[in-house]
Amino acid sequence: MERVATGTGAGVSETTVYDDQIVKMFFTATTVWALVGMLVGVIIALQLAWWPANLGLPWTTFGRLRPLHTNAVIFAFAGNVCFTGIYHSTQRLLKTRMYSDRLSRVHFWGWQSIIVAAAITLPLGMTQSKEYAELIWPIDVAITLVWVAFGVNFFGTLARRKVKHLYVAIWFYMSFVITIAVLHIVNSLVIPATLFRSYPIYAGLTDALVQWWYGHNAVGFFLTTPFLGLMYYYLPRAAQRPVYSYRLSIVHFWGLVFLYIWAGPHHLLYSALPDWAQTVGMVFSIMLLAPSWGGMLNGLLTLRGAWDRVRTDPILKFMVVAVSFYGMSTFEGPMMSIRAVNSLAHYTNWVIGHVHSGALGWVGMISFGMMYWMIQDIWKRKLAHPSWATHHFWLATIGIVLYTVAMWAAGLMEGLQWRALNDAGRLAHPIFLDITTRLEPFLWLRLLGGTLYLIGAIMMAVNFWQTIRGPERPADAAAVPAAA
Amino acid sequence: MNTLLREAAASVQMGWLLGAMTVVFLVCFVGWIVYAYHPRNRELMEEMARMPLGDGGDS
Repeated sequence: MERVATGTGAGVSETTVYDDQIVKMFFTATTVWALVGMLVGVIIALQLAWWPANLGLPWTTFGRLRPLHTNAVIFAFAGNVCFTGIYHSTQRLLKTRMYSDRLSRVHFWGWQSIIVAAAITLPLGMTQSKEYAELIWPIDVAITLVWVAFGVNFFGTLARRKVKHLYVAIWFYMSFVITIAVLHIVNSLVIPATLFRSYPIYAGLTDALVQWWYGHNAVGFFLTTPFLGLMYYYLPRAAQRPVYSYRLSIVHFWGLVFLYIWAGPHHLLYSALPDWAQTVGMVFSIMLLAPSWGGMLNGLLTLRGAWDRVRTDPILKFMVVAVSFYGMSTFEGPMMSIRAVNSLAHYTNWVIGHVHSGALGWVGMISFGMMYWMIQDIWKRKLAHPSWATHHFWLATIGIVLYTVAMWAAGLMEGLQWRALNDAGRLAHPIFLDITTRLEPFLWLRLLGGTLYLIGAIMMAVNFWQTIRGPERPADAAAVPAAA
Repeated sequence: MNTLLREAAASVQMGWLLGAMTVVFLVCFVGWIVYAYHPRNRELMEEMARMPLGDGGDS
């Protein structure tokens, strides 16, 4: 189904037909991959608490399923949800159809094929062994080609826009398209040895630095900037309120992109990396707090005058919690990048808690809010089970709290016990395995939190399925009316 | 000079280029702030803040 927008520029009536079919395709893929990615996450959480769950098979061990989980939730779930929102909002913000329907389809089917290729190769143990860049070189080449198709389509759409000024969400999307291309190509430069094996062109420390320049900016430009673009479009639309400060959004964007790109070395504190380079990473990470919190406040203050609706509207509930978790994790991140804090946190479960407060809290919740809003808009249907959306919200929120609290407690405990000394100046807990065994209750608690989050996502998928199969609603009964 | 800064200076090549880039980025950033907060652009900023509700929404 396609949306028609009419405008009367220069006294001439124009009609633009948006391509909403591609939005629906990405929306559906997002829902499917969310379940797959989160299910694998729950399975490996079980394996950490109860090792026999690895089934004793090489294909199902933690070492192979963990990259499958991270690739599925980052590139399959988060990637598809970004594309859903970008294809939907870009056409509306630029008042034009996408540049090429063919490129949109190449992007969609190419991206889903890459995900399937990842789901086959990673359990088989085919990997480049670089975190978040595990996929072997033929798949890396495919990613590059598909990304170029997406980039040409996106910038082609910008070139034929019918508005003069680019809304801030479009700037965030641009940073996503450009930066991910640069990061992926530079970090994936390898010399192929066979079809499945290759060697990086970088050696030793340089390899590590390039990897974490990539790794941290994957968080910055895959899991942050496109989602901020979505926040700046869908939060005002769902709340029916203008952005609190558009000026602040401009400073937010430029501050964030200028600073983020330098923060990667904080992953290499206390390593062979020169001290000054570690300090650069730490200082830029701390400075990131300013634009991040500026953006968080801009999001929350956009709700001024609409807070009464947060009590009853699950879409706004998801978005408020998402922006709050964005604030919390962007406070926690800079704090953890401080050398003294990092010496305690590094290699502990605290890091896992931090990344999931951002992933489940920020990325997941803003995605769910956007999807509950969008399904009613593009399929022109009322939600089959509105109350389920609220139940999903509470399951997800309680799940995140259980997850992060368990990981914080586990991380602090193991970090403190690793470094504790007795009166004689010797390690107070010299047997590493003893500390690991003490983590068990926290690992079960994390499994419970993750399971609640997955149950919420399953309820969402069933709700979506029944909504799409349900009757079309009358045009004048829009759940979230759009101002004309 | 601070040991850290001396080490940094010794290990980078084309330091003048990095310095020039820092200045260029800073000027760009200050330029964006001036653009955003210039009184002449107030109306535009308010119009853009409403974009998801009006032009950017479905008609």
